[in-house]
Amino acid sequence: MSVADQIRQLSDARKLVLRDVNYYGQVIQATLPIFGPSAHVELRRWGAEFLAEAFASPAIQLGQKETLSLLVLDTLKNLVEDPNQDVLVLRSVIQTAASVYPLALRWIISNAYDTNTWNNMTAIKARILRLWENAPATLRICCIKFAQRVILAQTASINPEPRRGDPLDISLNMIPQNHSVLNVHSMEAEATGLLDRMLGALQENSSDVLVVDATLNTLSILVRMRPTTTNRVMNAVLSFNPLKLANAPMSPKTKVIVRSLEKTVRMLCIHLSRRDPKGPLAARIQPYLERLMQSRAEISEGVSRKRALTEQADGIEAKRQRTAPSLPNLQITPLPPGPHTLADVFTFTQNEGLRKFDVAVVPAPLAAKISVNTIATIDPGLFERALDGIRSRLAELHKAAERPLDPDTTALDVEDDDDYEPDYYAAEDTEQILNKLDSAPSLQVREMEKPAVLGALALPAYKLPPPPPLNPDQAVRVGQGTVTRVFGVMSTLSDPSTKKTKAGVNRLAASSFDKDSWITIITRLATRAAAGLNDISVKDEDGSKALGGTSLSNSIRESLYVYVLEDFRKRIDVAVAWLSEEWYNDRVQQRAASEDGRDVPVFYDKWALRLLDGFLPYLHAQDKVLTRFLSEIPGLNAELLSRVKTLCRDPSMVTLALTSLLYLVVMRPPIRETALDTVQEIWVEYEEARAMAGKYLTKWRPGFQEQQKQLVSANGNASPTGAGQPVVAT
Amino acid sequence: MEAPNGTVAPTQTGDRPDPGGYKLKFCTVCASNQNRSMEAHLQLSKAHYPVISFGTGSLVRLPGPTIQQPNVYQFNKTSYDSMFKELSEKDEDLYTRNGLLNMLNRNRGVKWGPERWQDWQVGIPRLEHASDRGSVGTEGGVADVVFTCEERCWDAVIDDLHNRGAPLNRPVHVINVDIRDNHEEASIGGRGILDLADSLNNAAKEERDAVGSATFDMATAASRATFDERVPEILGEWQERWPNLPATWTLAWF
Repeated sequence: MSVADQIRQLSDARKLVLRDVNYYGQVIQATLPIFGPSAHVELRRWGAEFLAEAFASPAIQLGQKETLSLLVLDTLKNLVEDPNQDVLVLRSVIQTAASVYPLALRWIISNAYDTNTWNNMTAIKARILRLWENAPATLRICCIKFAQRVILAQTASINPEPRRGDPLDISLNMIPQNHSVLNVHSMEAEATGLLDRMLGALQENSSDVLVVDATLNTLSILVRMRPTTTNRVMNAVLSFNPLKLANAPMSPKTKVIVRSLEKTVRMLCIHLSRRDPKGPLAARIQPYLERLMQSRAEISEGVSRKRALTEQADGIEAKRQRTAPSLPNLQITPLPPGPHTLADVFTFTQNEGLRKFDVAVVPAPLAAKISVNTIATIDPGLFERALDGIRSRLAELHKAAERPLDPDTTALDVEDDDDYEPDYYAAEDTEQILNKLDSAPSLQVREMEKPAVLGALALPAYKLPPPPPLNPDQAVRVGQGTVTRVFGVMSTLSDPSTKKTKAGVNRLAASSFDKDSWITIITRLATRAAAGLNDISVKDEDGSKALGGTSLSNSIRESLYVYVLEDFRKRIDVAVAWLSEEWYNDRVQQRAASEDGRDVPVFYDKWALRLLDGFLPYLHAQDKVLTRFLSEIPGLNAELLSRVKTLCRDPSMVTLALTSLLYLVVMRPPIRETALDTVQEIWVEYEEARAMAGKYLTKWRPGFQEQQKQLVSANGNASPTGAGQPVVAT
Repeated sequence: MEAPNGTVAPTQTGDRPDPGGYKLKFCTVCASNQNRSMEAHLQLSKAHYPVISFGTGSLVRLPGPTIQQPNVYQFNKTSYDSMFKELSEKDEDLYTRNGLLNMLNRNRGVKWGPERWQDWQVGIPRLEHASDRGSVGTEGGVADVVFTCEERCWDAVIDDLHNRGAPLNRPVHVINVDIRDNHEEASIGGRGILDLADSLNNAAKEERDAVGSATFDMATAASRATFDERVPEILGEWQERWPNLPATWTLAWF
């Protein structure tokens, strides 16, 4: 039978297994002898390719592949060890070996007796790693991929539990420490060595672009799934300069290579940083990408300069031109026919490098700086000429756009720019799509780019229909949504770890976007935003449900209240800031109201009381927060202090209550008398507290205790009661 | 249902005889798997290459009456035929004038419907696609060369291959050929892609004809570059022939 006939038969067998993978075992066993080492090269090529396809196929279960791998290792070993083997056969054999390696490892882990199989595998590995040294590049890239699979198998996975059925997750985690054949430590060491050898392609500044690309494109999974490799890989990638070839005179091939290398490394970096945009990896990658962009821009500039020079070389004026570059030769050419991007319209330079440069890659602040500097130094006459040039181009385009639609040149590209979503799955209903389109700003931008639509610029401006009027209920609901979001933001912002220097009186209330600023905004929103509106509705509707502003303000207050109480020890400063705002607002409102004799609701007392009531039950004896709260809020009254008094019901809290009151006595003279009254009441009402309260009273209200004793003796034996009736003795 | 003036430009290489012999397997990719990738798909299949095609967008988007009202379809679920019927019912005049009906008519002669790149299970047999143009040779569900028609499609393909983690250990050349998204440019771009495919396939054939032992251990190794190594060279030469279709390339892994 001729080779061609044999291959035709083999292809039929392949069709069979593609249709039903269960036949793979039979077909492989039946065909293996056909492409043994002595077979015709075409048969060996076919066979090796067939094996590569079989072991790569995602259609076959991992377990079935493992069984199949036992069948082929002998053949693979014979094929790969033949010193005169055909390159294409080797290529497929190495690919097969890369797929088989993790399977063989998995096999030997649970079948330690079968050293024969594992010896075959290690022999294949040894041969492949030797081939890596001096084989043609087409084989070297496959050796690199093989090494990558060995590294994956012989380093610890990020998943502590290997996922069953995922060949990429066969890892060091699966090998028991005391395995009779496998030594975990030497395997890990081998993996480290192979990784260094792989990364060598990037470090030795190899100009072999195929090998470098192939290496870069294998690294993502290592970084993601094998944390021990991450650092080494990133060091190698981030010190790799894809633009180093760009300095030589650029042939078309070099240009393609440089552009391709740079994009390959950029894609890898973007891919990795996008997986964890806030992570440490992204922080390392970002500056690298920026540097890359900068040097790319420099190179394209350099190329243009060089080209400009060579173009002028035969001119007589060449020398003078070179020393006086400040006389740019602006050529305003009419646009050639055909479609144009917006960039085309605004571009005068003939320089290809500059034309191709994607300005969008320059960070916006940098671009702004460059633009401002350029505009500041540009010759006004020149600028004027350029502007006129663009004006006339636009006018021309308007004329051109009135021509009828040409089906051959009409843009079909109606995609939004960012529609590649790796995590996307299909269910997207019409409404969602409409929403997406509504909110896609790129559409408007693209509108400008399209010549067919450019004509629309000449049409009268489109006006949106006026929105339906917002009723108060909706406004409140929407407002609440906003408030909830602000609280969401606040809770994600971390507390500043270091104490910031206070800016003092001159500080602006909310100039930075940190937590403090948001608190300021939200408290003022609650207190001031609707102030002066609410009292009107109270008056008008007299007792009925207050509308609009009042409800929103109060709902913010409720949210603030909940927010503070969620973690009152940490958030007591929020409470103080809020109450200060309330107090201030009450004052301002009262003053304004007193002028025209209105009544205004007062919020401070109510909310101070609620807050205090809110956290009092949760205090424990060592809490400083009560003292702080009482000393820092802007106003105190007997009612507030009487709540403090109730703490004394719990004997362990007596000290706390009394020291807080004492602090007020000492530090806040305006409230001293009220505080002392409260201490007196405590002395009267709580016998357990008498010793301590008495001590303070002896100092601050001398004579009180004596008076009490006289009263007691006068009234017989009954202990003095008089809750709520302060006994004022002085 | 034929568009009066929007016929797809027939290429000179339209129906050339099948040269037989070894053939690289190609894959063409654009955003919606409608215009550029399908034009290239058709041209490659007419030249008897095995070829499959995909789109990288999240949805298939075709122009509608205004820019804010595109016609949106799901990948893998809507056939070109049903889109054709829907649009000709909606506004036959408009969609004839802008060439969509003509394009869909062409596409429904090539394969069933648009397929999404990200949903493609590389390496799963594609036997059920036997009626697609260019299906012969693509039964294994892989490709040797992927042509994308726009930079962000190239980016999407590379990013997706990174995500997949290269489980198949199979190298693939991913080449971007920047083509503007209109019918005329798609036709030109398709010819450019076919020219590149021819050059690549010749190199691959030469590699295979160099039958025999791998003598790379000897000094002659350098004189016989393999297909993979020659790709950048071929691309550079092609770029000189097609300066208006800027190309980017990388060697990635399935």
